Amino acid sequence: MSTQTMVMTTPGAKTRPRVRRSTATTAWYHLAMVIASLVWLIPMLWMLSLSLSDNKALTKETQTLIPQGFTLENLLGVFSVGLTSRWFLNSAIVSILTTVLTVLLCAMAGYAFAKFTFRGKTIVYASVLAGLMIPKEAMFIPLFTMIGDVSMHNTYAALILPRIAAPLGVFLMTQFFSQVPAEVEEAARIDGAGPWRTFFSVMLPLARPSMIALAIFTFVQTWNDYLWPLVSATKSEMFTITTGLASLQGNFAQATELGSLMARGLIGSLPLLLVFIFFQKHLIRGISMASGSK
Amino acid sequence: MASPSIERSSVRRTSRRTGSGLKYGIAFTAPFMVLYVIFVFYPVLQATWMSLHDWDLLGATRDFIGIDNFERMLWGHDITWSMTHLAVPRLILLAGAIALLIRPLLRRRLTLGVSLGVAGILAIVVALGFHPAQGGFWFDPEFWIALQNTLLFTAISTPLIAALGLVMALALQGNRRGARIYQMVFFVPYILPVSVVTLVWTYFLSPNQGLLAALLEPLGIDPIPWLANPNTAMTAVIVTTVWWTVGFNLVLFSAGLQDVDPALYEAASLDGAGPWRKFVNITLPGIKHVVLLVMVMQVIASFQVFGQVNIMTGGGPGTSTLVLIQHVYEAGFRDFELGYGSAVSLFLFAVMLVVSVIQMRTLGKDDSK
Repeated sequence: MSTQTMVMTTPGAKTRPRVRRSTATTAWYHLAMVIASLVWLIPMLWMLSLSLSDNKALTKETQTLIPQGFTLENLLGVFSVGLTSRWFLNSAIVSILTTVLTVLLCAMAGYAFAKFTFRGKTIVYASVLAGLMIPKEAMFIPLFTMIGDVSMHNTYAALILPRIAAPLGVFLMTQFFSQVPAEVEEAARIDGAGPWRTFFSVMLPLARPSMIALAIFTFVQTWNDYLWPLVSATKSEMFTITTGLASLQGNFAQATELGSLMARGLIGSLPLLLVFIFFQKHLIRGISMASGSK
Repeated sequence: MASPSIERSSVRRTSRRTGSGLKYGIAFTAPFMVLYVIFVFYPVLQATWMSLHDWDLLGATRDFIGIDNFERMLWGHDITWSMTHLAVPRLILLAGAIALLIRPLLRRRLTLGVSLGVAGILAIVVALGFHPAQGGFWFDPEFWIALQNTLLFTAISTPLIAALGLVMALALQGNRRGARIYQMVFFVPYILPVSVVTLVWTYFLSPNQGLLAALLEPLGIDPIPWLANPNTAMTAVIVTTVWWTVGFNLVLFSAGLQDVDPALYEAASLDGAGPWRKFVNITLPGIKHVVLLVMVMQVIASFQVFGQVNIMTGGGPGTSTLVLIQHVYEAGFRDFELGYGSAVSLFLFAVMLVVSVIQMRTLGKDDSK
């Protein structure tokens, strides 16, 4: 899909404006955009600056973009002090498992909804779509008692399982698989492949771009999830980095260690920044998909 | 001899295929459906069940009390109805309902969707007439404050985020050199966890330590205690949210703008249309469905706002930033009243349902065109 739009826009839109616009207009445009970008980045630049500053120096002066008493101590110390490394690990485990399971289960269900005929399929699929209207954020109380009834709070399973059942993922995968021509499947069947082989060795490779987009989107959403880990994990060892950082902010003792607090925030965002840098296209594709506009 | 055996085998084959269709259909969907029923569907039923109970957090009391929780949420002592209460917002809503009706009436074609929408607005206009009489009170005034704050947050942040996202997308339109980098810059806050966003902004806005105060000082503006002042706390939360989420909508708008046929712009240029006319007559109609989508998604997200508020202000100072989810959270985990919290959850669910149905109707209709 993306290659198509690129081919379509390249000859017309890409070359024309550059020829027409005068150098002066272009310069003004870039000046305005650079200023706007800097304004937008200031809070993050400041965070970076504070994380590179000496904690003692920050007790006197914080209102500058230049690091005070430049030091890498805060960044290097993130994993040695407190529970931050544990939270980081929790987030990694929860996000990775959630992502893998979500993509796999949504792809399986999507494939079945798109390609199999069985009784009751329409009703079941409609009920999945109805789930799109259920506000996840609002349903945490019944979820909380449910998990409590089986004494599963403060476990990885409690953090992961409720997030996997994403109706949006099934919807997206169903849409993708219903676009795959029937001939592909028939060819696989003639070669003697059963439904499982067809799914794993033909369909999944075909669906890779969609799955990567869904995976990136799920990973970012899971890493950033706040409300459910907040109510489900009450022991600080089971906090994710997102709830852990939030818990530190309420703690006034940390105000004297602003530098290391900011360093923690930076490290906590690092996996997402890396994902963003390496998979930018897929993330943006995931957003377009998730909104159903593409 | 041959034909019956062929018939039989073909019968057997089709029956096996539909049979295996069911078998594999279940096998492929079961892992998802089991989790889905347990973690998405069942909670709604459970919330409904709990909302009819006096249900405390520790599980000591679980008494069936019927609709008492809903009465407590929506009603009060000595409630009266008057024509003039909340006159201004009601008149605005009424004007909105009339505006909705003008076009269908002129065309003499009233659709079910419009009628339901107008009926809904009128119901709200009537409902807003209820208020406690002298000496009366709402059973849960905090619910109404939370609802009011949530509506305020939604009403301000949604148009702001949509407009800013659109302006940014327009500025980056047309494959200019560097547009990709600018887009990255505006998008990157969106991927930060809410606790990092609040960490930066809480300090950024701080009157003593924050950078903003230092930046405003040369302009002669004294440090403002944004989060500690009930009058500015909501503004601070909204600004933070806009900074955090506008990139998401920028991406959606950029994708929408790419789909507008460039030939239309050329034709308009030949007709001598200026940038504003082109925007109003080509761009806006071309991305109408994206605008709608962004608005609806923002409304849904805004109604569920929680993280920023909980970490930055905890609903305060006072109740100035108390929102609905925060109220549910406090009902459950501060006051230990899970039954009542579930009732408020269901109220939110009902609102979401209405917005989602509107979304599906309007966006679905747009697609078929």
